[in-house]
Amino acid sequence: MTVTEQATTLKRGFVGQSMPRKEDRRLVQGQGTFFDDVRRHGMGYVHFVRSPYAHAKIVSIDVSRALELDGVYGTITGDEVAIQTDPFFEMSVEPGGLIKDYALAVGRVRHMGEPVAAVCAATRELARDAAELVEVSYDPLPVLVDAGEALKDEVVMHEDAGSNVVWSGVFEWGDVDQALAEADHVVKIERLHFHRFSSTPLECAGALVEYDRGTGEWTLHCNHQMPGVGAIWMAPALRVGIDKLRFVTQDIGGGFGNKICLHPQYVVLCLLARKLGRPVQWTEYRTDQHTANAHGNERTFLDVEVGVMADGTMTGFRVRALDDCGAFPRYEPLGCIIWAQVTPGMYGWRNIRVDFTQVCTNKSPVSPNRGYSRMQHLWLTERVVDIVASELGFDPVEIRKKNYVKAEQMPYETPNGCVYDSGDYAAALDLALELIDHGSIEERRRDAAARGRLLGLGIGSTLDSGTNNFGQSTLLNPDLQFSGNNEAASVKLDIFGEVVVTLGTVPQGQGHETTAAQVVADILGCSPEQVNVRRGHDTWFNSHAGFSGTYASQFAFTGLGAVKGAAELLRDEMVQLAAAVLQAPAEAIELADGMARIKDGPEEAALPFMALGAIVNANNAFLPPDFNPTLNHRYVCRPYFGMVDTEKKTGQLTLTYALQVHAAVVEVDPDTGEVEVVDYAAVDDCGVRINPLIVEGQVHGATAHALGAALSEEFVYDEEGTLLTSNFYDYHVPHALDMPPLKTGAMESPSPVAPLGAKGMGEGGGGGIHCICAAIQDALASAGKPIVSTSCNPPHRVWAMLRDPESSRANVSVASR
Amino acid sequence: MLLREVEYARPATVEEAVSLLAGYDGARALAGGQTLLNVMKARAAAPDVLVDLADLDDLRTIGFTADGLLEVGAMVTYTQLVGSSEVEVARPILAEVAETIADVQVRNRGTVGGNVCVADPTNHLPPLLVALDARFTIRGQESERTVSADEFFLGVYLTAVGEGELLTKVAVPPSSGAGDGFSGLTVGKHGTYVANAAATVSDAGVRVVLGCVDAVPVRATALEERLAAGDLSEDAVRAAAEGLGETLDPPSDAHGSGEFRRHLAEVSAVRAVLQAASRRKG
Amino acid sequence: MAAPATSRVIAVELNGEQVELEVPARRLLVHFLRDDLGLTGTHIGCDTGNCGACTVHLNGEPVKSCMLLAVQADGARVTTVEGLAPDGELTPLQTSFNEHHALQCGYCTPGMLMSASALLERNPRPSEEDVRLALQGNICRCTGYVNIVEAVLATGGSR
Repeated sequence: MTVTEQATTLKRGFVGQSMPRKEDRRLVQGQGTFFDDVRRHGMGYVHFVRSPYAHAKIVSIDVSRALELDGVYGTITGDEVAIQTDPFFEMSVEPGGLIKDYALAVGRVRHMGEPVAAVCAATRELARDAAELVEVSYDPLPVLVDAGEALKDEVVMHEDAGSNVVWSGVFEWGDVDQALAEADHVVKIERLHFHRFSSTPLECAGALVEYDRGTGEWTLHCNHQMPGVGAIWMAPALRVGIDKLRFVTQDIGGGFGNKICLHPQYVVLCLLARKLGRPVQWTEYRTDQHTANAHGNERTFLDVEVGVMADGTMTGFRVRALDDCGAFPRYEPLGCIIWAQVTPGMYGWRNIRVDFTQVCTNKSPVSPNRGYSRMQHLWLTERVVDIVASELGFDPVEIRKKNYVKAEQMPYETPNGCVYDSGDYAAALDLALELIDHGSIEERRRDAAARGRLLGLGIGSTLDSGTNNFGQSTLLNPDLQFSGNNEAASVKLDIFGEVVVTLGTVPQGQGHETTAAQVVADILGCSPEQVNVRRGHDTWFNSHAGFSGTYASQFAFTGLGAVKGAAELLRDEMVQLAAAVLQAPAEAIELADGMARIKDGPEEAALPFMALGAIVNANNAFLPPDFNPTLNHRYVCRPYFGMVDTEKKTGQLTLTYALQVHAAVVEVDPDTGEVEVVDYAAVDDCGVRINPLIVEGQVHGATAHALGAALSEEFVYDEEGTLLTSNFYDYHVPHALDMPPLKTGAMESPSPVAPLGAKGMGEGGGGGIHCICAAIQDALASAGKPIVSTSCNPPHRVWAMLRDPESSRANVSVASR
Repeated sequence: MLLREVEYARPATVEEAVSLLAGYDGARALAGGQTLLNVMKARAAAPDVLVDLADLDDLRTIGFTADGLLEVGAMVTYTQLVGSSEVEVARPILAEVAETIADVQVRNRGTVGGNVCVADPTNHLPPLLVALDARFTIRGQESERTVSADEFFLGVYLTAVGEGELLTKVAVPPSSGAGDGFSGLTVGKHGTYVANAAATVSDAGVRVVLGCVDAVPVRATALEERLAAGDLSEDAVRAAAEGLGETLDPPSDAHGSGEFRRHLAEVSAVRAVLQAASRRKG
Repeated sequence: MAAPATSRVIAVELNGEQVELEVPARRLLVHFLRDDLGLTGTHIGCDTGNCGACTVHLNGEPVKSCMLLAVQADGARVTTVEGLAPDGELTPLQTSFNEHHALQCGYCTPGMLMSASALLERNPRPSEEDVRLALQGNICRCTGYVNIVEAVLATGGSR
């Protein structure tokens, strides 16, 4: 594995350095504290009773036998939930907005594994035993596992809504009808399907919940990665004020978006903790996570039409998108707009129409999964480019360069008003091609052919849009009261000179403790070792805001922006204080080496941080009455987006646009359909890299997720709504032997809009999926030119294309003038 | 993930073990536990008594019988197979295949006996041992008997080892110049098999056995007959295997349709035979 | 003659210390370690023995502690991640993980360390293939294994 670097343009002390992480010391010793490590005296363990049917009426629930078991503390059912709580807040307009979503199934179950009741007992094993004794009888209903079927509304999943449609709308910018009419070629693709998978973080979801009878407050020791929004859902449902919910997260074993919609289970735990008068703990099992936690959005693209000029310029496209959000929307329908952050992908076409519908089906509910909604859309644009290239005889590299937004066009406003802040897509592509030795491809193809293998090269260029404008939700529902974004942080100088930082974010491995320390150290003139960043998120830190969490590739902007803001406030006060003590003008004071001192002054004219902290906290009488330093500052980073236009459906939906260009070389075994990745390169540009080592780690991880999704990870359902891939045998994720040799390259195009020039990154945008699909299509080109139209291509699917390329080609047609 | 209540015993001798297995209804042998524990976690089966074979050193040996067969104790782990010089000399295909089972942790615990007694159609050893014409020694309370590979595997999760009995040894003939091959498609590297085939080419002819396509390993007898003539060139083997899939009715699942498995069976059979042919000596 | 029982008093040498406790026969070793002994460094990431987050050493060999009953460890020597650096002084392998950014969320890390340390004890200078084979039973969803493999190779002196 090799790394090719472009110079970090902003070398500023610790920012820009590949510092080893502060988090590691505890984690390599097994001394991390994950929620399941937390114990409370007298706690009970919870096991959920889950539906064995994908769709059924609940006829009756009898918990009496469970309650008879020694060691069982109590139970709770949907009936109790319906009395004690209100349904969760829904974001959609009607009909989707009328869906009633409770913490447990009420009256009906709508996906296999949906929690129906919960049992709490003295040990994990007893809770499991007791759950088996709960008797539930069901009346099965017809099952919907296909979005197209659901659209017909012959079987309606939510009576309150009266339809399976959660949201529907048309987005149109430019004039695509005109563009298609004037195009030299119109390429039509009947169907492209982006499959259902998720990031399956290794630590499952869960919480230990305590209820304080005296104050009516709950404390949740948990791994919810977006507590700001979690509280917004839970508090009204529990009919309490937001301050009655204290979220405490410590170490979290991966999130990737799959730990955003945990509020239903958490509400159950809150009710049980209150009902039973003891702390209660629930740990999700792997099978439950796969079956009933959160999948990524499954999206089918229908009737794609692309206008292409003779010289390869793509002028526009229109498409019908059908999104399957599973049994309950929850965070949806936000996915119905979030893709619009990257409407044109990386390309310059100006005429785009997307007719978007989202429906419910009897599958696991979705939640934002790494790359959320943009990944699906970017896969569409990359498939389109490759299919256009292949059908019209253009080189996939040349057609991309021709159509890419150019570096000199940055900042570039897209047809729907988003602004791509910076980036040189063509240069990134060149770097990726260099890393996989593009020039030798034809020779390698011949060599592979001699060994009976089909070799292919694929490119996947993608964007990682970051720092969300929640106002985009109003494009779906004008009545929603959401807009903008925020993140908070606090930095203080303590009595003995320690610098203490608390974050609003909820890191699950992204190294926030380290990068925050780097930023603070540069601003305060000390070393990162002197900066103590408190682990995790705690409501009582009071360092959070409404949108706090770790999601949507925004930490480098909003999280570090907040840290920067708070540190600067602290710095300014420290300078003022030192100036007062040293009796010098503020401009003459500098902070360096852990001291506040007079620049170029005598050695004695210096105060260690400890002195400043002690003065303010314990020895402040001599300070003048009008000077009241606190050395404790909280800052809210509020990115500025302006307002969105709900009529034209335009606006700045995200502020930063990191890019990744992936290139893969694959060899296909034509007899088995097995795909081996023999060479791979990923180039990333996320602007200023606060810690290049951490950035590169994210690129590795995103690549692994994408490769897994592209080659084996798929949530497969049968006709009865049974999930067939509910464990790691059948849902195969990459292991060490599955990973190809991975080369990475980096570029830095600083963001003109981000506080540190650093764009959010981490999700990745699914570049690996796009390039593997392209590589497979290229490999199979000599075997009948099948078209790759699904995002997951395990051997059986590749073999189907090899066996019958014509069927896959029937999906595509070209009309030329 | 959490087991039902169960009773546990750890006998010191094979006799004690058999006695426990015979003496308690719902008693099951616990060998490496790499399958049984999963079954119990899922509560798909719940034995009443687990008879832990861990202390039965007699079952952990690898050696040779009086008539020169390579004899492997039922409690020999995959790791032991991989590291055994006896296996390497006498029948290295056993180690070669065992090394691809799952991962180091599983191989340190999983046993030869467990792999065959579980008789999961996707397991590695059943088709291989049928191809090698293995012999299985089964101890009961009163007696001991030896069963051929063709008679050992009776159905999904079902073998000739009856209630109150214990598999103690598995024996295979040494290679003596025979070439062995094993080929198939797995779900990920070292993952579960979707389809596989084992083949042996020796003076006695060709044996080809298919796994994953039926409840038990399937001898591809028609293919064996066509190859009896002796031409084992690639063209000849491919031609002989044509139509093999049509005789099969494999299951469909998330990893492939029955049709895909029929095709894979043919491909695996060809590759296994060619590999075996290329390794044959003299 | 060993009569079957629903629980058993087991004696285990755990990270060098003798532990004796009565445990239910059905208790998994990983729950014994985490819940009965409070050694929460060993993690649970799945329920079918695939992910390896629960890897410990049993008599010096890496095994998945969720695929063993606690009673099976009676009389055995068990080492967990807490036993690698009991006095807080990191081993070269742990230091290498830090230097190479071989962990992100840290959840798979104890299991990785147990598998890697077992490898290095048997094979002090492993090749990249050796390392990947040794870690094949440990799933990571954050790192793509890239830096983990580098860290182990560097400890072995091959980088």
